[in-house]
Amino acid sequence: MQLDFKARELTIKLVYYGPALSGKTTNLHAVHRLVNSDAAGRLMTLETRDDRTLFFDLLPLSIGATKGINVRLKLFTVPGQVIHASTRRLVLQGCDGIAFIADSRRSETKANQLAFLDMQDNLTENGFEADTHPLVIQFNKRDLPAIRTDEEIDRLAAHGKEPVFKAVAIRGVGVKETLLGLIDLTVQHLEERHGLKEKVGVTSADFITAVNNRLFREAP
Amino acid sequence: MSDLEAALDIAFGDIRRLDDVVDREALKEICRSFYDLFGLSIRVLQEDGALLADVHEERDICSYVNTLTAGRKACGATVTAVKDDVPDEGTVLSHPCFTGARYMIVPIEYQGHRIGRFVLGPYLPEELTRVPKTLLKLADVDRQEAQRHLAEMPRVRPETAERVVAHLRSILDVLLHSSHRAHLTSEMHVRSVRAGYRELAEKTSKLQVAYDRLRELDRLKSNFLATVSHELRTPLTSIIGYSEMLSQNMAGALNDDQREFVETIHQKGEQLLTLITNLLDLNKLELGSATVKTQAVPPRALLEDILSTMRPIAAAKNVELALTLAPNLPPIAGDPVRLQQIFFNLMENAIKFVDEGGLVQLSATPDELGPEPGASGRGLVLMAPVRRAIAIRVIDNGIGIPRGARERIFEAFYQVDGSSTRVHGGAGLGLSIVKRLVDAHEGTIDVEGALGEGTEFCVTLPASE
Repeated sequence: MQLDFKARELTIKLVYYGPALSGKTTNLHAVHRLVNSDAAGRLMTLETRDDRTLFFDLLPLSIGATKGINVRLKLFTVPGQVIHASTRRLVLQGCDGIAFIADSRRSETKANQLAFLDMQDNLTENGFEADTHPLVIQFNKRDLPAIRTDEEIDRLAAHGKEPVFKAVAIRGVGVKETLLGLIDLTVQHLEERHGLKEKVGVTSADFITAVNNRLFREAP
Repeated sequence: MSDLEAALDIAFGDIRRLDDVVDREALKEICRSFYDLFGLSIRVLQEDGALLADVHEERDICSYVNTLTAGRKACGATVTAVKDDVPDEGTVLSHPCFTGARYMIVPIEYQGHRIGRFVLGPYLPEELTRVPKTLLKLADVDRQEAQRHLAEMPRVRPETAERVVAHLRSILDVLLHSSHRAHLTSEMHVRSVRAGYRELAEKTSKLQVAYDRLRELDRLKSNFLATVSHELRTPLTSIIGYSEMLSQNMAGALNDDQREFVETIHQKGEQLLTLITNLLDLNKLELGSATVKTQAVPPRALLEDILSTMRPIAAAKNVELALTLAPNLPPIAGDPVRLQQIFFNLMENAIKFVDEGGLVQLSATPDELGPEPGASGRGLVLMAPVRRAIAIRVIDNGIGIPRGARERIFEAFYQVDGSSTRVHGGAGLGLSIVKRLVDAHEGTIDVEGALGEGTEFCVTLPASE
């Protein structure tokens, strides 16, 4: 979180993490398509090769003024390939919440697990409490064959701690829900840990209302 | 800009100053092409007022008023005012000149932040037809000359001015976006190389320390193992060998008592050798140096082999052996030699603890290795491995294991009956070896059955994918 008291501006950084080719960039593209055009900035993709992110993607979103404070969201992705470990650590700097994009295919279970452990390590390395940092999990590519079943995911999700979403990011399905879930969790965490309400006078409820109105308001 | 500010800008993908990212030469070229196209002067200023690009040509009217003392003063004041006039975000300022000309001052915004402005003009509004009073009231102004110079100034309609502004804005936005992108890319590149180098250097130094320590430990362990195996086994081999020769009457005939004593020495010597071998084995498993070479092992062949090995021992005690195999069992991912060791130990134990005429059953069924019962926690939905597995049970109807002892039976040297008068022998190493072997296969072992009800060991091993 970056709080500029002089400019009355709050910037929240959200990171899409996950294994290679799980659909992090696709999620950002879908968000870009789904949100109101006046709220979204230009989607920036930093160096790609063969459709793979080398550094990161960045999508700035503007929530606008809420109770006198200007709120901006910055959505980042990390490069998924194992070799870009140091870049992932750099992108996680200053991150307020994470959407972990998992590939639903059974064959990718191990890759999901390795990426998750890598994320936990990198959070710790960056000085975050890895076990309490805001996190939502998205099971992407629900339209593909040989995936982990709904029943299996629901059963395990009921035991797990974090909100779980199912998505087909390429068609925009579940993308909005994942983002809203992440924002909700992150803002609650910022309120609990950093006294967001005390500092800027905005409650998490105000925040969510503003996000809904500004980002996803239906065109008149 | 401080290092911290720079790091924050990279972390949040922000621009603090226009000249941090934008290429001044590219900016000048764009302004020049606009000037060529529309004939309008352009100045680009940073948020703090510093001039980044300036393409203009002095107009005749400007040259003229600058020849007059009062005109020079008024012109200086206007230029300063234009320079200092900062429009709010999202608004365009129109600043009048005393000559009747105008300047447009437009904010340059990026990701919702104002980081500079550009000034368009001076130009003459289309609607101006006469020399304005503000110009005429200057001392020494010649109306006709002023009229003539004004007529040579470019005239712009309000809607044209708006279009020019919108066009320049969108071009600057693209330039800023691509410049910012290039800036972030190169910064990320440098930072990841630096971070990568630092991490590698740290890891290399840690690895070197660990490697040196391990080499020392390895040397000590090898010495220890060599000593144990030599110092214990060598005399033991002699004890076993000589007692065997004695019992075979190779040193003359023995009487019955002598034979019994010598055979006991031989038998106990063999037991001691097995114990030493097991200890070395356990040592290796604990150090993790025992190799488990995983391959696809068909359960039927494995278990039938075990059964035929155990049959003579069972027959000697009149114990019945039974094998049940579920259909379509997948192969086990395991080391055939180590798997043999696991089930040999379990079967041997079972036969040891059933009474004469008892029953030991071996069964294999398909299973799943999933999360622990009642497990919960962060990332469980991702981390819980769901693997195909094979559950192999060794069930006996012997004396059973008391509930309280179940957790401890896998500890080395533990005996359920540790009294000096116990009926069943053994050093208490068998199950601890089994447990470590099962762990090395990433499997699980559980024990069921209460005292007096027999025992059921269930070994779950991963299936070969």
